[in-house]
This record gives sequence, structure tokens and C-alpha cells, in this order.
Amino acid sequence: MKMNVTWTLPAGGTVSAAVEPGQNLMEAATENNVENVTGECGGSLSCATCHVYVEGDWFDKTGEIGEFEDAMLDMAPGERRPNSRLSCQIEAHPDLDGLQLTVPES
Amino acid sequence: MTIWTPTDSGYADLTSHDTFADGVPHNTFARLRRDDPLHWTEYEGGENFWSVTRYDDITVMNKNTEVFSSARGIRMEDQSYEEYLARRTFQETDPPEHTQVRMKLLKAFSNTVMQQYEQDIRDLCEEILEDALGQETFDATKLIARQLPMRMLGRIVGLPDEDLPWLVEKGDALIANTDPDFTSHVMDKLETDEFRMMPFNSPAGAELYAYAKELMEKKERDGDTSGVLHLILQPAKDGSMITETEFRNFFCLLVAAGNDTTRYSIAAGIQAMCHQPELLGQMKEGGSVWDTASDEIIRWATPATYFRRTATQDYEMHGKTIRAGDKVLYWFASANRDDSKFEDPFRVNLHRSPNRHLSFGQFGPHVCLGMWLARLEVKVLFQELSKRLSHIEPAGPHKFLRSNFVGGIKELPVSIRRA
Repeated sequence: MKMNVTWTLPAGGTVSAAVEPGQNLMEAATENNVENVTGECGGSLSCATCHVYVEGDWFDKTGEIGEFEDAMLDMAPGERRPNSRLSCQIEAHPDLDGLQLTVPES
Repeated sequence: MTIWTPTDSGYADLTSHDTFADGVPHNTFARLRRDDPLHWTEYEGGENFWSVTRYDDITVMNKNTEVFSSARGIRMEDQSYEEYLARRTFQETDPPEHTQVRMKLLKAFSNTVMQQYEQDIRDLCEEILEDALGQETFDATKLIARQLPMRMLGRIVGLPDEDLPWLVEKGDALIANTDPDFTSHVMDKLETDEFRMMPFNSPAGAELYAYAKELMEKKERDGDTSGVLHLILQPAKDGSMITETEFRNFFCLLVAAGNDTTRYSIAAGIQAMCHQPELLGQMKEGGSVWDTASDEIIRWATPATYFRRTATQDYEMHGKTIRAGDKVLYWFASANRDDSKFEDPFRVNLHRSPNRHLSFGQFGPHVCLGMWLARLEVKVLFQELSKRLSHIEPAGPHKFLRSNFVGGIKELPVSIRRA
């Protein structure tokens, strides 16, 4: 079953897409041309260009932040907040159906 | 109008630096993408290798560092394990080792840090352009493109201004080590192995090692915290510090990479302006064109024509088997002209979007650390250049660098009229 995800863009406006389970949300964002999520390193934890804020209760459902991700988030474009994640590290899963993400200003 | 038409027969020798002295052999790459996308390439100078030329293949393989390792070298040329150990930088490592070193460097080159240098770049561009545009006819590579990247790197790294010309020269000798215009130690014609343990197999590597060591010591003595070197010397999140060897090799990499890749992006952009006259008008109009222009100029330029990996296990692709131990080259220069990905790839379209070119080695952990700086420098340079011009045209044929690794225009005669 695909899961639905919505990105709120920095200038306002949203993009929504149905994503296959197992795909990471950076890839989903770039396939849907979500502005400011570029994923330059292809999900290798080397660039921090897929930084997003995970809204509300969804944050706890997206899993733990790894050591490298934590370090990368410190250098990510846009201000780091408690709900910051690198979207290449979040895998689509039926439990995340309805996920709300906000794209930081670069 | 066409910017430049490749002249190769379609069967060019990709291992020959001379081939690239006539420009990237795009007819050959077009044929390979169509007929033989995983091409076993005979190489007189060493082990034969696989050439990968399609965009979609490179983006999949570049991510797969378990199968395609950087830890056996990243150039076509072979090196012994001993040479590799002495010369390697974090470019020649794989995750997680690569990630650990990269973490220490990333903060200094993040987009946020680079944005703070925009005004510095603009001031330097003004200075360089006021100098160059005093003449009607001149070599744009020499007077514009060659000037900005190194002077900017000097500012960012915190190097004394008087050292910069020397560093430009050493940087040229490192990367353009196959062009007799830039080094007397032409790598594929060397009769000595005296420098094989030095970065880029070059005597310039040895001199840069010594310079870096002295610079570090001086900065420490003076308590000098200017520039990004200071950031690099801070402990990483996990408390680890960069080692002396890592630092010195990284410094050589900075000088080499920071020097000529952006230079050749700028040169290729000016070349495009000469042959597609509408570009100057679009730049002068400004606005949203600047959100997309630098990436298109950098796609057009593709200064790093390839990087090499080595297979760690057998891998099936296009009905062939890449064997463990085989060298594999990702030809970014080819992928950036792949018409299955880029519409009209031989035209510069400053509004191209999306534009997921591979000039920075995207879709893998080794994506260019300096990409934010490069984009910013290219953007600001062309903003300042277009503002000052009403016309630009070629003033004679341009000359390409003799290198199959760095694609660049080393001489670009232009005639201009000032706005």
C-alpha cells in the first residue's frame, strides 16, 4: 500500500504524493520536484540537501536520528530545529501514511 | 548558433590526452551511449577498464560504494598500493571512513557559510573585470576565469594575498599535469618515478605539502582563526580531529580542485556567451535566471570529465559482467550530454530546470564539497560580467587543455564592447 506524504514549501503551497513503501523520502521529493530538496549525494549522508521538518506527532514515528545524520543536520541549509531530519534517512512505510513535512528556507 | 561542434570520428581513444586536446569526443560518447553503454576500453598505459556513459547507469552505480569502491584510486592511471597510501585524500576512501573525514570538512563549505562570502566574491569580480575589460580583445581564460577561483580560495582559507600567484601555478601543475603548458613534468611522458609518492605524482605536490605545514604552524603560533582552515581544525561532533597527513593531503586537494574546476566552468560560460548571443540578454534581464544559470553553465562545462571506481565483486550489467577488481570509469562528460535526460543537451539553456547534472559527481557520497562555493562564484561572476558588457564574440579559435581528466578551455580569445 502506498503512503501519502505532503510537503509544505518555504514560500507556502504544498506538494502531495503517494509513495511506495521502502522508498526514501528524499527520492520521493526529488521525483516530485519538491523545491529545495535536492539530495545531491543520492542519500549517502554526505550533503544535507534533503533537510526537512517533520510536523507534529509524526516526528516520533520517523525513527532515531543516527550519528552521521546528527552531525550533518548541524550543517544543513536552513535552521536546525528539534524536528529536523534528513529525508533520505526516512523510509516510506504504511504507518507513515499522511506524513506532513515542511521544507526549510535555504 | 552552435557553441562548438565535436570533431571526433566517433571512435576516439578515450585514454589519450591528445584526444581531449581537441575537445571532449562527444561523437564517441554519443555512439557508446547508444550502442555500447558498458564499454570495455583498451588502455595502453595500464589496466583496461569499463567506460560507463549513460546518465541513468552512473547515478545508480555512483551510490553503490560497496560494489564500486574509491579506495583503489579515482583516476584512470594505475598506482601501487604504496603510492595510493601516500597520496590519498578522503576522495580515495569509502564510507564509513569517508563520512568521518567529510564530516570534519563539511561545516566549512556548507551553503550557509559560503553565502557569507558573496560580497567578497563580488568585490573580487569587480576588481578582476575592471582590469580585464579595459581591453577590447583579450584571453578570457587568462584574465577572467583563471583569476577568481584562486583569489577567492585564498580569502576563504585565509592565505596571504602575496602567495596566491604561486599557489595558482602549483595548482595548475597538479591537476593539469598532462598539459605541457602547465607543467614540465608531463605525467604520461615522465621518465622519473621520483615524485610517485607525492600528491598527483607531481613535484608541485611536494612543495604544497611543505607550504601547508608551515602555514598551519604559523597560524597556530599567531592564534590566527581567520578562514575555513580554523573550522576544519576544530574537533568534529564525535570529538575526532583531522590528522596532519589528512590535513596536508586535503590542502593539496583544495588548491588543485579549488583552482581549475571553477576556472573552466567560467571559461565554458564565456565561450557559450560568445556563440549564443541571446545569453547576454537573458543575463542582463536578470531575475529568476540566476536561480538556474550557474548549474547550467557548470553542466555545460563539466570540468571533471570522469571519476574512476574499482569493483569489489562481480556485477552484471547490460548483458556483461564487471569482474571484481576491474576498473570502472563514470564519464560525467557523457552523462551531462545524455539526451534521454537533458533536452537539447548541446545548447546552453540558462532557465533549464530541473537540471540534475553530474558535474559535481552527484548521487554519491563524494559529491563535490565545494559545490556551493562554485555555484556562488559562477553566479556572481556572470552577474557582474553581463552588467558590464553590451556585446561579446570570439576573437579566434579557443584551445582545450590536454587532459582527459579535466575538461577545460585554456585559451579563449574574445572581443567585447562595454555596456
